[in-house]
Amino acid sequence: MTQYNFKQLPIVPNAKDFIDIVLSKTHRKTPTVVHRHFKISRIRHFYMRKVKFTQQNYHDKLQQIVDAFPKLDAVHPFYSDLMNVLYDRDHYKIALGQLNKAKHLVDNLARDYTRLLKYADSLYRCKQLKIAALGRMSTLMKRQTKSLEYLEQVRQHLSRLPSIDPNTRTIIISGFPNVGKSSFINKVTRADVDVQPYAFTTKSLFVGHMDYEYLRWQVIDTPGLLDQTLDHRSTIEMQAITALIHLRAGILYIMDLSEQCGHTLEEQLKLFRNIQPVFKGKPLIICLNKMDVLRPEDLSQEKQEVLNTLREEGLTLIAMSTLTEEGVMEVRREICDLLLAERVDYKMQGKRAGDILNRLYVAMPQMRNDKERPPCIPQSVLDRRARQKDGEVEIRPKKKLLREIEQEEREEYACDLRQHWKLDNDEEKYDFIPEVWNGHNVYDFVDPDILQQLENLEREEGMREQSGFYNSDSDMEDDTSRENHILAEKIRDKRNILIQERRVRKSSSNKSKLPDAVMRKARSKSARRSTTPGIRGEDAMDTGRSLSTGAARSRSRSMPRNEEGVMNPVVKKAANKRAKRNIRNMTRRVHTAGEADRRIVVKRPKHLLAGKSKMGKSWRR
Amino acid sequence: MACFRAQFEGNNEVGVFSKLTNSYCLTAIGQSENFYSLFESELGDSIPVVHASIASCSIIGRLCVGNKHGLLVPITCSDPELQHLRNSLPDSVKVQRVDEKLSALGNVICCNDYLALAHPDLDKETEEIVKDTLKVEVFRQTIAGHPLVGSYCQFNNKGGLVHSKTNKLALNELSSLLQVPLVAGTVNRGSDIIGGGLAVNDWSAFCGLTTTAPELSVIEGVFKLNVHPVPIMGAKMRATIVDSIS
Repeated sequence: MTQYNFKQLPIVPNAKDFIDIVLSKTHRKTPTVVHRHFKISRIRHFYMRKVKFTQQNYHDKLQQIVDAFPKLDAVHPFYSDLMNVLYDRDHYKIALGQLNKAKHLVDNLARDYTRLLKYADSLYRCKQLKIAALGRMSTLMKRQTKSLEYLEQVRQHLSRLPSIDPNTRTIIISGFPNVGKSSFINKVTRADVDVQPYAFTTKSLFVGHMDYEYLRWQVIDTPGLLDQTLDHRSTIEMQAITALIHLRAGILYIMDLSEQCGHTLEEQLKLFRNIQPVFKGKPLIICLNKMDVLRPEDLSQEKQEVLNTLREEGLTLIAMSTLTEEGVMEVRREICDLLLAERVDYKMQGKRAGDILNRLYVAMPQMRNDKERPPCIPQSVLDRRARQKDGEVEIRPKKKLLREIEQEEREEYACDLRQHWKLDNDEEKYDFIPEVWNGHNVYDFVDPDILQQLENLEREEGMREQSGFYNSDSDMEDDTSRENHILAEKIRDKRNILIQERRVRKSSSNKSKLPDAVMRKARSKSARRSTTPGIRGEDAMDTGRSLSTGAARSRSRSMPRNEEGVMNPVVKKAANKRAKRNIRNMTRRVHTAGEADRRIVVKRPKHLLAGKSKMGKSWRR
Repeated sequence: MACFRAQFEGNNEVGVFSKLTNSYCLTAIGQSENFYSLFESELGDSIPVVHASIASCSIIGRLCVGNKHGLLVPITCSDPELQHLRNSLPDSVKVQRVDEKLSALGNVICCNDYLALAHPDLDKETEEIVKDTLKVEVFRQTIAGHPLVGSYCQFNNKGGLVHSKTNKLALNELSSLLQVPLVAGTVNRGSDIIGGGLAVNDWSAFCGLTTTAPELSVIEGVFKLNVHPVPIMGAKMRATIVDSIS
């Protein structure tokens, strides 16, 4: 559904501002420095750019205005007519049309001048052409002064129009001036319409909203109408007529029985007859206002009869008083019900009625089996509801909500998740449980029944103790078993000693593990050895890894690598020499200069050194 | 008044950020306690209201499914979260982790204390777990052609609300399956995602802040939340509903 919001229209600057805005933008956003000696193509381009840029800005700004203003043919007829009444359709269309025309003219102008600029042969000529182009554009805009001023006024007025939704539930209040229309809207909605004891206090449409039957209703207060033909009506009255004609709304025609408004009952009825055609097909209620002054029953006989003729036509007449509020709510209820019924009828005849029908249907279950499925409501809630049902005003004991605590503590507040934990032992509530411990997910090892199992075991144990399971073997001892015990004791002792001896041996040989290459050798050695009888080859292979072949040797006996295996200083010298020679090639390669090294290609450049030196010193070269 | 409007950090999808049943209520952990405290003030004196997260997400209402008897959480739920749920909920509520491919259990299963609707593609094993843990009968169904039954419907032991495009025939069928009166409707100003926008138990309901008055009155009527019993949809209410549907 289209939303009508005219509050966001762009401001329309007046012609002078318009020109200033565009030209200053051109100055700011295009290059400003050009010189005579530049290439002519560059100079041409410089000025062409200025002209084109200015044209584009005019174009954009005008287009924006033309696009933003509502198109009279596209908006809802109510708004279209209201704008016709308020701003005059022709004037509005011409103003927008002229702006559109100006846009085209600016475009044409710019095209012509850029074409001319192509043939300009000097900076001076280029500049003159540019000045001419911008000047003519400005002149064009100056001619739009009237349109721009008018559109700005329209914009200001539009943005102050009440936002009336033409499609929603609407109630329109109409009648002679000063009969109490604005008082009524003030009573039923929160709109604060000015009420004064003179005619035409309300000069335009006012909107208020109210709630009824879970729905939001729009109430429109219209200016008072006088009894005259349509072409004599003023702009103020025409707004009311527009609303009455175009909005599919419930209508309240308010009459003043007391005639305090300055118009007799006959006049008011005449007006009613005059505008009755626009009420056709709309829910209508005639409200007899100011019953606090004169009740309908107290009217004279002929006036009573006039009202009766109205009733006979099938019209609803309700007496009310906006002063004492008598009947006001009744009027509201009646008109809302009538309008709602009318709208529902209309909708149900439409295409989408089928979609709506399923929303109104309540599917009741067919009993499938005899199983009872009662609601599960806690007793505390049931009690509370019972109290509520008795009409008791409930006063709950005030418990501090988390939100209040949060507001008190401000930054210090932290949500405590464990606060409401229900544990058997409350002290355990804040115990820290790591999620992962020693690489294990702790929760995988949680055994919820562990306490139960422990209890079972303890009970079993206790029962065993009680039944004498443990003290029975002392009397049943015999010789063989005692011997066995002693023997077993000895075996155990012996084994312990052996284990400990082995540990001592192992720890004393504090050997490092050897690299694989050495190990391989060692293993092959032991394999060779295993061919000798008495040692099984497989066993030797198995132990090969853990065996360290290096002999235990104290640090004091170790020697530097280059002196190891050297018999005397002579041999040592020769060996050193040989070693150096062996790596000479390698080191030499390292010292060759690379790409990144600094290098002086020509040590004595001829151009610096050749020729005679006259004045000055040679170091300056 | 037993239907409340709420918002979770500016989001109207109340059913996404909370899980309400007859014996407990879970709410998401947010930046402030406003959302939690609404539940706390209305339910705190009758059932536990618990902060919870599942797989560090706040969309708990869509990830888990539960009723008075139990709570099923997806496999993505971490151990500490599960522990927190177990410690916080009453002992009568069985908390169980389910290894299911359709891991948003709240979207694929919808249940009250006696019956459940499930996504047609749900695992057989999961269905068994649902049966055992939640003590419900399970029916595989779609709602208005959508297999995500948990998203498009919401029911308690007294009534239910389903996707607004469900036709009369389907409504009757579902109603007979679930053994509660059903109405097709919307929440949150015309949203069809009932399960996401509404959290309900047997005596209270929570919906988004944008829920209109007619929607609210339908919710109160069909879930029978009022203290004074009213017809689910009176003549006036029907007119209101027709006119409020644009």
